[in-house]
Amino acid sequence: MRLTLHMLISHGRVARKMGLNPQSRINMLRNILTGLVRHERIETVRARADEVRFYAEKLIDYAKKGDTDEKAMKMATFWLTEKDLVPKLFKVLAPRFETHTNGYTRMARIPNRENLDRAKMAVLEYKGNPFPPLYPVKKENQLTLINQLLKGYKEEKARQMLN
Amino acid sequence: MMNLAALVHNLRCSLLHIESRLLQAAGLDRQLAPALAVNGPGLLPQLPPPVEDEMDEQQSLEQPPGILDGILWMAVPKKRRTIEINRTRRRADAKLLKVKNNIEPCPECGHLKQKHILCGFCYAKVCRETSLIRQQINAMEGGPLRAPTTETVVLYDGETPNEQDKDKRIVERGRKRPAWFSQ
Repeated sequence: MRLTLHMLISHGRVARKMGLNPQSRINMLRNILTGLVRHERIETVRARADEVRFYAEKLIDYAKKGDTDEKAMKMATFWLTEKDLVPKLFKVLAPRFETHTNGYTRMARIPNRENLDRAKMAVLEYKGNPFPPLYPVKKENQLTLINQLLKGYKEEKARQMLN
Repeated sequence: MMNLAALVHNLRCSLLHIESRLLQAAGLDRQLAPALAVNGPGLLPQLPPPVEDEMDEQQSLEQPPGILDGILWMAVPKKRRTIEINRTRRRADAKLLKVKNNIEPCPECGHLKQKHILCGFCYAKVCRETSLIRQQINAMEGGPLRAPTTETVVLYDGETPNEQDKDKRIVERGRKRPAWFSQ
């Protein structure tokens, strides 16, 4: 083929290369997406999690069209290699995200893998999964001194407004 | 007397002959041969060969390059690099270790974490609990490829399902609800 400068320099190219070729990349992402739909929370390499995120959200958009839609069913059967997840997608995940317009997934970075490769890892999950949350929920403790003082101040202000 | 001398001479000759034959057989008769014979251009510059026929010249011009030809043109350092030059190369800014200033203690457990990365200890805690929940789910499903078509909710000891959890699959965990996993 023609060896051009275009082939040697990749300035500004944002599309990632994964696997052996584009077909292998799609197959790899398909496997990861199937795992995500089955387990609702998976940990992979950061680059793969970032790539799968786009496809995971697009899959939910297709699923929202309903399982009677021809295109949606074709997409679901292509992307989910384990066919018992197709009903799960249409009956569990699509209704779960009815009110959301975008942002069905959450990706968080984790410490590097323990292996020799020390790969950068990320955990990818669908929101609304039954597992414990990744980010701890901040609960306000009403029994701390400052909160008690603030409560007293608010009550006094309310009493003054009434008088 | 003449015969005796000739006889002795002949004997000596034959003995020498036998000795040389024995040495030859043993392989110990190194004659005057060079210790190293190298195939290649002559090590000393030579005058051009005397005028020959044209055919001989054409044949002798295009000879395959010798093995030693490449060695004479290899890149080689001219002088020893001084310790000052070595130090400036080894301690250049790009080769020194960078200091990270994005490390902070996790507010939950106090272990150190990077600002943009989840705390390793807290994440390991969450992982352990999710794997136990998944073991329970696998036991309930009984085999592979049996994903249910309903949502799942996890209930701990002494908890009853809420109103919105009515038609969900309930996964029982036989322990008290951990403080960091609020409903």
